Parts: sequence; C-alpha cells; structure tokens
Amino acid sequence: MYVAKPAELEAIGLTYSSESAQTNRALKIMSELRTSMRSLMVMLETCVKCGNCAQQCHSYLGTEDYNNFPAARAELMRRIYKKHFTWSGRIFGSFVGAEEFDEETLGKWLTYFYQCNECRRCARFCPFGIDTAEITIMARHILSELGILPRFMQGIALNMQKTGNNMGIPQPATLDSAQFMEDEMREETGLDIKIPIDKPNSDILYIPSSADFFTNVDTMLGVAKMFHVLGVNWTIPSTVLEAANFGLLFNLQVMRTHNLRLKQAAKDLGAKLVVQGECGHGWRAAKMYTEGCNGAFPFELVHVLEYCAAHLDRLRFKRLPWRVTLHDPCNYSRAGGIVEQPRKIIRACVEELVEMTPNREDNFCCGGGSGILMDEMMDIRLKLGRKKVEQIQAVGDIDYLAIPCSICKAQIPAVMKHYGLEKFEMGGVMDLVGKAMVFDQ
Amino acid sequence: MLFFLGQIFPYIAIIVFLTGMTWRVLIWLKAPVPFQLTLFPAPQTFAGRVRVIGWEILSFKSLWRGDRTLWLWAWLMHGSLVLIIGGHIVGIYTLTRQFTLIGLSPAASSAWSAGFGIAAGIICFLSLMVLFYRRTAITELKRLSDPVDYFDLLLLLAIVISGMHMRLTSLNIDLPAIRFYLAGILTLHPIPIPRTWIFVSHFTLVNILLLYFPFSKLVHAAGFVVNRAMVTEKPPIYPTPASRVGEARFKQGGRIE
Repeated sequence: MYVAKPAELEAIGLTYSSESAQTNRALKIMSELRTSMRSLMVMLETCVKCGNCAQQCHSYLGTEDYNNFPAARAELMRRIYKKHFTWSGRIFGSFVGAEEFDEETLGKWLTYFYQCNECRRCARFCPFGIDTAEITIMARHILSELGILPRFMQGIALNMQKTGNNMGIPQPATLDSAQFMEDEMREETGLDIKIPIDKPNSDILYIPSSADFFTNVDTMLGVAKMFHVLGVNWTIPSTVLEAANFGLLFNLQVMRTHNLRLKQAAKDLGAKLVVQGECGHGWRAAKMYTEGCNGAFPFELVHVLEYCAAHLDRLRFKRLPWRVTLHDPCNYSRAGGIVEQPRKIIRACVEELVEMTPNREDNFCCGGGSGILMDEMMDIRLKLGRKKVEQIQAVGDIDYLAIPCSICKAQIPAVMKHYGLEKFEMGGVMDLVGKAMVFDQ
Repeated sequence: MLFFLGQIFPYIAIIVFLTGMTWRVLIWLKAPVPFQLTLFPAPQTFAGRVRVIGWEILSFKSLWRGDRTLWLWAWLMHGSLVLIIGGHIVGIYTLTRQFTLIGLSPAASSAWSAGFGIAAGIICFLSLMVLFYRRTAITELKRLSDPVDYFDLLLLLAIVISGMHMRLTSLNIDLPAIRFYLAGILTLHPIPIPRTWIFVSHFTLVNILLLYFPFSKLVHAAGFVVNRAMVTEKPPIYPTPASRVGEARFKQGGRIE
C-alpha cells in the first residue's frame, strides 16, 4: 500500500508527526477517544477471546493471516490499551496481555486495519456484539491524525475538498455528463427525461455516487427514469455529487466536514427530502452519523431503494427474463436496515430472484468494503473477495448480479474477472429499474 | 490468619467487587455515544430492546449461530454456574429444605438438593475443562490467549473442585455452622470461620474471585449489557424531532478528538 507523503497530507489539512513522536501522540488521541466514545472503551474491555469471530470473517478466511482474525485485529489496539489505560495491564503487563506501543505495532496497525472491510459481520456473531469495525474506524482515525494514511485515501480526500466528490468532478463536467445521459435516454425512450443539476426550489435532493456519472451510468439512468415517471421536482447538488463519505473510513473530522456539505446543499436548494443513492458506507454515514456529526438534521432522509420500493405501485415494468441474485451490501443490511426493499424492487423487475447463502444480515462482504480499492492492493483484495466468489458460484447460472453499492461495483467485477466468472452482467438495483421500466407515452 | 480470612477478607472482597463493578460501569456510562451503532435488525421499542437483550443472555443466540460446540459448552458453563449460585443461596438459607416448599419431605429435599448440586458441579467442571482444552487445541485461539485467560479458568476450576470436594467426600461439613457463620458476615456481626480447611479454602477462593472480578475480563458480565444496549439503539429519525434537538448527543457528540 502506498502511503501519502507529508506534503500531500498538508493539502488535506493533516500533519505528519515525526516517527519518534508517533506512538506518544497515538496514546494521547486514544486517551481522548476513550472518554468521548463509549464504544471504544466497552468494546476493548469486554472481549473474552472466545474466538467465535474467526470463522465468520471473510478477511481471515481469505487471507488466512492470524492478524486478520477479528479478535486478533482488535488485539493490536487492545494490548496497548491495556498497558496504558487499565490497572491490571499496568501492574501485570504481559501476563494479562498488555504491551507497550512500538513502531512495529504501529506498522501492523497500518497493514491490518486496512485489511478490515468494516463489514460488521463479526459483531453479528460476537456474543457481546463487539464490533471490530468500530475499533478499525478508531485505529484508522488515529493513524490519519498521526499523518499515516494510504495515498488512495489522501487522493479522495483532496477531491472531496476541492469538488465535494470522490472523483474530483467539477461542476461543468457534471453538467456535461448529465446532458450526455439525458441525450442517451431521449434516444432510448423518445422522452425528455431530465437530470437537473443545482436546480433551486427542488423538493427532493438526490445524492448520487460520483461514480454513477462515469462508470455506473446505468444506476443514474434508472434513478432519473423513476423520478421522471413519478413526476417529482428533484435535483442533484454539484457541491455534494457524492453519497460516499470516505471520512468514515479514515478520519472522523473529514467525515464531519463532508456530512455538513449534505446539510448545506439541502438548505441551499430548498429541499424537504434527501434521497441517498446506491452507496453502502455513505448510507451508513448519512443515516447513522449525521445527527452525531452536525446536530439536528431538519430534512427527511431516505435511501433511493427505500424510496423506490415505497413508490413501486406507481411504476410499471416489463419483467426482464433474467435469473438474478442479490449481494446485500454490509452497510445496507447490518449497518443500515435496508434488506427487503431491494428484493421487492428486483422481484418487480425480473422473472427470478435467487438468494445466495448466507444472505441479508449474515451476508459476506465483497472484500472492497471500507474503501480498500487501491490498485496496489489487488492481491489482498482478491483474497478478501474469495468468500464472495464462492457464494456467487454456489447459486449456479445467473444473468445478473445485483450489487447496489459503488464500492461493491468497483470490487466485485475485478474479483470476478480474476476468478473467470464473467458470464453475467453486474450492476445496481436501480439499473434494473431503468432497464425494465415501461413508460406511458 | 483465620481471623483475617474469616472476618476481614470477605468484607474487603465484597466491597472491592461492588465498588469496582459500579466504578467500571459508571466510567463506561459517562462516556457519550456520539453515533448510533445500531446493528440491524434492531428492535424499535424499549420493550423490544429488553426482549432482544434478554433472549441473547438466556440463549447465547450469537454463539449458536456461529460455533455450536462452543455454544454448548459456554452455555452449560454459565447455566450450571447460575444453578450453583442459586443453589448456594436457597440451599444454605433453608439448610437444603428448599424442596419442602413443593411438598417433598425434608430428607427427600436434601437428596434433591444434593442431586442438583452434584449435577451442576460436574457439568460446570466438565465445561470449564472443555473450554480450557479448546483454548489450547485451536491454533488461532491458542495464539490469542494470554496466561490470564488460563488463569481465569483455573481459578473457577479451583472453586468448583474445592466445592465438589465438600460434596463428594465423606467430610463432615457442618452446614448449620456455615449458615450461622455466613449470617454473621451478612448481618455485619462476623463470627470466627468454621475450622474446616476445605471450607476455608473454598470460601477464600470465592473471595479472591470477587476481589479479582472488576479488574479482569470477567467484567464481560456487565460489558454484555452495556455493549448490547449500544448496538440495539434505535436508529435516528429524520427530520430530527424538535424534542431531541437539545439532547446531549448534539452537545457532546460532535466532539471528535
């Protein structure tokens, strides 16, 4: 993994701590976090090391690396925590598993906290509900505060800062792209379906994933067609052309700043309802973190799949003759409460929906979760995705794999290509809506 | 020495246990939960939350869905422990006459009490042994375990073994005397401890456990509830209801770092 250079860090408002100061600074931040986040304290102090999480973690199953076993991953932080913040650790040291923080451990933090997909599957199987994702979030936050950050994340943070989206799309390019998509829909349907950008006095603010403007265009088309048929007054803000919030994946301050953009855009464009596009962690960040980040949020907030499922009876479809399976993005199922809506939509759009096993809240992560999409980590990503491949293989022949999350959409095709499973199409759930929709002329 | 073990140490142990546990939990509760960490599917009401957490305590559902072998032994260990603790309370209080309440004769009641006690003791012993063996037999678990993880199991085993020793050997354990002694402790009028070495050992080991409890991973008993309460919290509602705007979450929650 490539790490950001000090000058690159400064560009996104982070500073690099000299190597000798790193561990001390990390302890200082950890001390502040433990009193401001109950989760960190309780989750670090409650584990009994029963080992139930080992066989539930796709990262451990895929890499077979001890440090990717959730309890062992958490232990990378827990041992230091014990040494500095518990009586037993201070007195009995290694007998109770307490350890001094050294550079070697810090190196392991960078490696292994960036091999956790923050999928929360371990929390589902932990008798106490200990969430390793929470510990990973804290560890990555601490690392970034020390100036230790993957270059990939730095690049995205810089784009977010400049343009409000991960891909660094400026407003003129957004308008161009929207125009292009409108033309495409006109050609396909003969209808004047709009993708309005920055339209004042809109009732609905739609927050797409920026990738929907370039790589996952079909998702955007599906959404535009739906809004057209429903006849609603909607717009996309060019200032927040991004449902994703990578801050959650490396620095909580960055998360807060991006989250504020959402609130500001809704206020500026006069929206009453904010609809989040197909992005997994972005949905979690918006739904679960908005209140805590920036206080009261005076708008209604729903996911596009919730919105579509709720308005399904007003849409007409010609069912596609496909056998489709659905991959539940972790941040929808375990962390966001969206489980039945995509199923309802898919059943309306295609002839057969077949479930993979396990599914819903027990589903395995795609292996790209928490933004592990760096090209240089492809070897690891393939291992992290192995469990997903096995699951998909087990459902037999399919025509379409529904992966309604931008990270899944970036990860799964790459993994499938490697394992030679490319006989079917892959894409979002809203893509299906767009493809199966019938218009009243 | 017996004066210390019998009339002073029990008070130290119980005070450390109670204040230690209260202190641990209060420190946790003092820290804010700035973001809802809801793990779905999540209950929508307070009653639902209590039901979900209660069922998890009773059934160890998460373990069941993961590793059935671990579930079996962990459940048996905790279940038998509950039975043993309950048995101690009613058995000693009623001098093993507890089952006369359901119509048994005093002799039959004592026999039942002994039967349940022995069964629970053996199950607890076996499950602790299995959990110990499991820690050494599974590669990743062995690597994860620190000496203290074995120590905890050994301490519990020592308590179970000393207790079972009193049950299963023909030692003359004078239950009324023990009851009298314990009543003295509880009413703050401590009297000398019965001079039976096995009872003194058993009782002292229990006091060591109590003393050790708040500083060990045994706090998972409290951590369970606090953590489960956190991950079953109701997700936020948007737009934020006016009644919630003044909540602590908004004042403290945004404070990051």
